Amino acid sequence: MKLRAVLIALLAFIGMVDAFYLSMKRNAGVPCHITRGCTDVLTSKYSVVAGIPLPWFGLAFYITVLSLSVFKIFEDSQQASATALRLIFYLSGAGLIVSALLVGIQAFILKAYCEYCLLSAALVLTIFLLSPNPGSNKLPD
Amino acid sequence: MFSMSKIVKPLIVILLAVAVAAGAAVFLSRQPSAAPETNAAPVNVDLKGNGHFRGPEDAQLTLVEFGDYQCPYCASFHPFVKEILTRYPKQVRLEFRHFPLITVHPNSLAASKAAEAAGEQGHYWEMHDALFESQNEWASKPDPKPVFAAIANRIGINGTILVQTMESPRFQERILKDVEQGDKGGVQAVPTFFINGKQVPIKLSMDDFVQVIETHLKK
Repeated sequence: MKLRAVLIALLAFIGMVDAFYLSMKRNAGVPCHITRGCTDVLTSKYSVVAGIPLPWFGLAFYITVLSLSVFKIFEDSQQASATALRLIFYLSGAGLIVSALLVGIQAFILKAYCEYCLLSAALVLTIFLLSPNPGSNKLPD
Repeated sequence: MFSMSKIVKPLIVILLAVAVAAGAAVFLSRQPSAAPETNAAPVNVDLKGNGHFRGPEDAQLTLVEFGDYQCPYCASFHPFVKEILTRYPKQVRLEFRHFPLITVHPNSLAASKAAEAAGEQGHYWEMHDALFESQNEWASKPDPKPVFAAIANRIGINGTILVQTMESPRFQERILKDVEQGDKGGVQAVPTFFINGKQVPIKLSMDDFVQVIETHLKK
């Protein structure tokens, strides 16, 4: 069973919905339901990097992770399958560092939280924990 | 190497997943926002009280804006609000209420005080416009007062007096009263608009703004 890859694909799917939603609503004001300050976070100067809104980066990340996990699900070759998982591990590791930085900006600089961004950070963390350590010999399906 | 058939199936799944995710996001984004126009308990925004007015007293609509001078989103809305007042000079009256989000925007309270101090010199709305329009000049300054003074001089009032008087406790009281009323009215973010006492969601789009105003004018 390729349970991990299926779980990762599902999480990436949720992340895509989140990132698509933020990309669409960013300029129209995003209502918060749990936290306070969604619009402030999403319109802050930290919400754009090199002219590109952060949700677009998130979208690219989730589409890549979803693609890798779906290829892993359909791939029978042990080697290609392991490569896909390894890429997810490295990618989500990088994503985790970026997410930690963004949560830090919300907590310590903006002092406002965007629940959609926190959801994304939680998804990245879970994907990272689900993707096996490439250093380990045992690559679970 | 992947064979063609091995690529096609996952590719279809991926494309389908992306399409469904985009569709779900479109669906969610069209849902009413958390702060919909509420017909429930009247929002206690005292329209005849505290705020600064712009527009005729007998206007059909009173548009109350809870805003923060340092909020970039409010600054983006500012030209639209002005355009609405230009398009509906007899029908719409604007009331601005201070809602400085000081944890996110450290200079917002000072900016509100500067606007109030300019108001005391009879130029509230000039300062209001100038603060939004020159937000980039002062928003990130550790001490924005010299910039406020320069803006005041630019709009024809005494910047030195403005800076000297802006710390007056009466301005802070007035601002806090606005914040208190905003909290009571369920203001969660800035800008938040009320039309004739009811909170209305307005998108950052002139078309949407006009549509909201037209809808309320027909009521």
